[in-house]
Amino acid sequence: MERVSPVISAPAMAPNRPPIDWAGIIFTALLSAAIVLPLIVVGTWAFTEVWRYPNVVPQQFGLRFWNQTLTRADVWSALTISLQLSTVVTLLSAAICLPAAYAFARMDFPGRTVLFFSFLAGHAFPKFGLLIAIAAIFLQLNLIGTFWGVVLIQLVGTLLFMIWIPVAAFQSVDRRMEEAARDVGASPLRVFWSITLPQAGPTIAAAVLLSFVGTFYETEGAWLIGAPGIRTMPVLMISFINNQMVIQYGAVLSVMLWVPSFIALMFARRVIGGGAFARGFGG
Amino acid sequence: MTDAAEGAKRPLIEGAASRRPTGLLLVAIPVFLVGWLVIWPIINAIGRTLWRPDASGTMGFDLSSYVFFFSDQYSINNLTITLWTTLMCAILLLVICLPIALYLRFSHGRLPAYVQALAIFPMFVPSIILAYAFIRVLGPNGMVDILLNSVGLPKIRTPYLTPWGPVIGLVWDNIPLTVLILLSGLGNVANHAIEAARDVGANRLQVFWHIILPRISNSLLVAISFAVLGIFSSFTLPYLLGPAAPEMMGPFMNRTFREVNDPLNAITQAVITFGFCIAFGLFYVRSVARNQGQ
Amino acid sequence: MSVLKISEVSKIFAGPTVAVDKFSLDVADGELVCLLGPSGSGKSTLLRMIGGFERPTSGLITIDGEDITHQPPEKRPTGMVFQSHALWTHMNVFKNLAFGLKLRRLPASEIKQRVEAVLELVGLAGYGGRGVNQLSGGQQQRVALARSLVLEPKILLLDEPFASLDQHLRERLREEVRDIQQRLKITTLFVTHGQDEALAMADRIVVMRDGRTEQVDRPDIIYREPQTPFVAGFIGTMNLVEGEVSNGHFKRAGFAVDMPIADGPAVLAVRPEALDLTAAEPGTARVHRVTDYGTHGLVDLDLRDGTRLKSMVAHPDLFKPGQGVDLRPQAVSAYRDNQRAYRS
Repeated sequence: MERVSPVISAPAMAPNRPPIDWAGIIFTALLSAAIVLPLIVVGTWAFTEVWRYPNVVPQQFGLRFWNQTLTRADVWSALTISLQLSTVVTLLSAAICLPAAYAFARMDFPGRTVLFFSFLAGHAFPKFGLLIAIAAIFLQLNLIGTFWGVVLIQLVGTLLFMIWIPVAAFQSVDRRMEEAARDVGASPLRVFWSITLPQAGPTIAAAVLLSFVGTFYETEGAWLIGAPGIRTMPVLMISFINNQMVIQYGAVLSVMLWVPSFIALMFARRVIGGGAFARGFGG
Repeated sequence: MTDAAEGAKRPLIEGAASRRPTGLLLVAIPVFLVGWLVIWPIINAIGRTLWRPDASGTMGFDLSSYVFFFSDQYSINNLTITLWTTLMCAILLLVICLPIALYLRFSHGRLPAYVQALAIFPMFVPSIILAYAFIRVLGPNGMVDILLNSVGLPKIRTPYLTPWGPVIGLVWDNIPLTVLILLSGLGNVANHAIEAARDVGANRLQVFWHIILPRISNSLLVAISFAVLGIFSSFTLPYLLGPAAPEMMGPFMNRTFREVNDPLNAITQAVITFGFCIAFGLFYVRSVARNQGQ
Repeated sequence: MSVLKISEVSKIFAGPTVAVDKFSLDVADGELVCLLGPSGSGKSTLLRMIGGFERPTSGLITIDGEDITHQPPEKRPTGMVFQSHALWTHMNVFKNLAFGLKLRRLPASEIKQRVEAVLELVGLAGYGGRGVNQLSGGQQQRVALARSLVLEPKILLLDEPFASLDQHLRERLREEVRDIQQRLKITTLFVTHGQDEALAMADRIVVMRDGRTEQVDRPDIIYREPQTPFVAGFIGTMNLVEGEVSNGHFKRAGFAVDMPIADGPAVLAVRPEALDLTAAEPGTARVHRVTDYGTHGLVDLDLRDGTRLKSMVAHPDLFKPGQGVDLRPQAVSAYRDNQRAYRS
């Protein structure tokens, strides 16, 4: 992983022919090798039937292991559980966080600033340490190994995103637009429904998607709180890797697992990139 | 109520309507969840490990679980490997991400766009898939071995199940956010500040040292804090890629809690990780709060 | 049709800052009244209280005798046009206009008919299907006006509606708005900080300062007979000279004007176009700069103590910088204790 480049690239000054962007070429080559190659290898394994060392390419391609993986009962139950969890958590999170976000963005009440920043608390501590502390409490409440225990733990994980991003979205809605709607006769509730929500819509949709995908891939809370009763896709994947089962199972599962992430990637391309996202992390 | 209440405080963000308890009602559930599932567990964890019944059943101040941790060689080894991993990751992240961020900040065109897309890509690869890919590429008889063998070179000594395994995985995982945070910090460095420095004769290294570095020092610290908070108690990657002993704090806590079934010592370990990260956590909160306040 | 009555309305913000201080005004049926004042004079706050977006701390607002002081905006028969047009960008032009009508549960055919009629009125017939962001700034402001008009409000409120437009467009739009207002005979309150706009459009102007009324009058009277030095200085260009009156003469640094009022300090006000110059050496003032505007010229003068005056002259080429002149004021006023004490 050594890719130290001594070149600090400065704005290209050459007037006519741009100089060759050596730094860019080096970065591209190294990052491609480090980031794209591993994923290609996984993708290749997923469609491989026989690949014996030391051949550079598989001896036999095929979909046999897709068939085998998809007929496994544990895969289907994990997929069902994961989708159920993500759906329930996302809906619950939207139901409790969006009104709260609106309140933070548009209303004034005692302790508003402190409460707003209190959502950072969950991110100011090492995550797994916090999970252990929560698990100790869940142990007393008999929530370990239950569906709702995992829902709770993942719900807490979505709070920061699901409040802070929509707050920014609501705040960027021009108040005069809302006032204009009141002016033509809309009640406050109607203004929220017909003006504020559609205006803030795309950003809020991004936050909702983020919480869905984030919950789907959440591994550590599900592992610690959910086991043994609740087995999500990532938890199943851990056992596939640990138990050294047929290599292709892991590969097929990886490719399947990556689909929601790919959708998120396509969607997030617009949201990320502007500095706004990194600023959310204090950058 | 209107007059007195309205006179009390101007809202944080201009234009909030009136000061009504409706707002409190709307934020009640999320705030309750944070209180119950973040603040309370932490207080509870500290309380339970310090103030608990002794052998005779009377409650009292008791440091013995901490004394045990710091006198137990196995625990100490685990803590040491965690600190070593965190430090290595922080150094590698800076060494890798700072040049990338600098390159992205000062270049335009299609190649930098591609480099940025690549650098942010790991954000969309769940760490569990990363762990699997790591094993297939760097594990025994993995892709690297295959490629080396095909050109007649010896196999590598695989980092899989060694302390370097988690380091490589965690660095890979943390590149996107580090690059994004540094890039956002570099956005604060004005082009004309650099041009002015070049104008008075500073070379590239001097520009970096005297102009750029002072402006992004805060972003550097935020990036490091964020990475440290994530890496110190990471679980999935060390659990799957690291050695069985010594193990990092994440897998250690997991095993103490679930396999050894010893919640008290698991909580003690958790509180110790809090203690080691408290400075980074506070710094992170302060930076975010300051950014939001702007 | 509709009469707006504002009685003793005050607004005190946290701080406390008095934004509007016991303001009273009656707006007659079909009248267009301009609230004119510098920023921070409370004119926008006053308009927002009439629209229902701020609650008055005290006072009473009625429309046609009905008390609306504490009604929410959606219950008031007022229509507001905002500075930034505040159009709903997720709806097209037609939907922007139809939204309020739909809330009133009108049948679709009537909505369509009324929207089209109003679009015709503001000169945007056929623009219904356009997205709001596809329109120019002037068109957007016309849609905003149409959105208010389509509901046939009793009172039309305009909050600096042309502030974000360029000079040329602003002049054209204010004529259009004035035409529409007169055609519909709609009672209108218009907030602006531009005196040109106020002078060009208003039936009456309310000059506001620090939340209070300085003067309420027809535009020509405001211009010709400002009641306070603030109004005198705010409307048009005015030379304001502080000096002393003694024995029926106002004096400042060698500049003297007949003024039959009691002795004491006073502020002399004279418009540049009412200050004639004649060449004289050494003279009471010296020419500092001459600016030729083609149709007329403006001469900057310094009194002996450096006080700067402006004079409008028909032939600027007659004057050169450094030259001495005597001043012949044709029409002057004087103010004392913030009130007019003399008018020639």
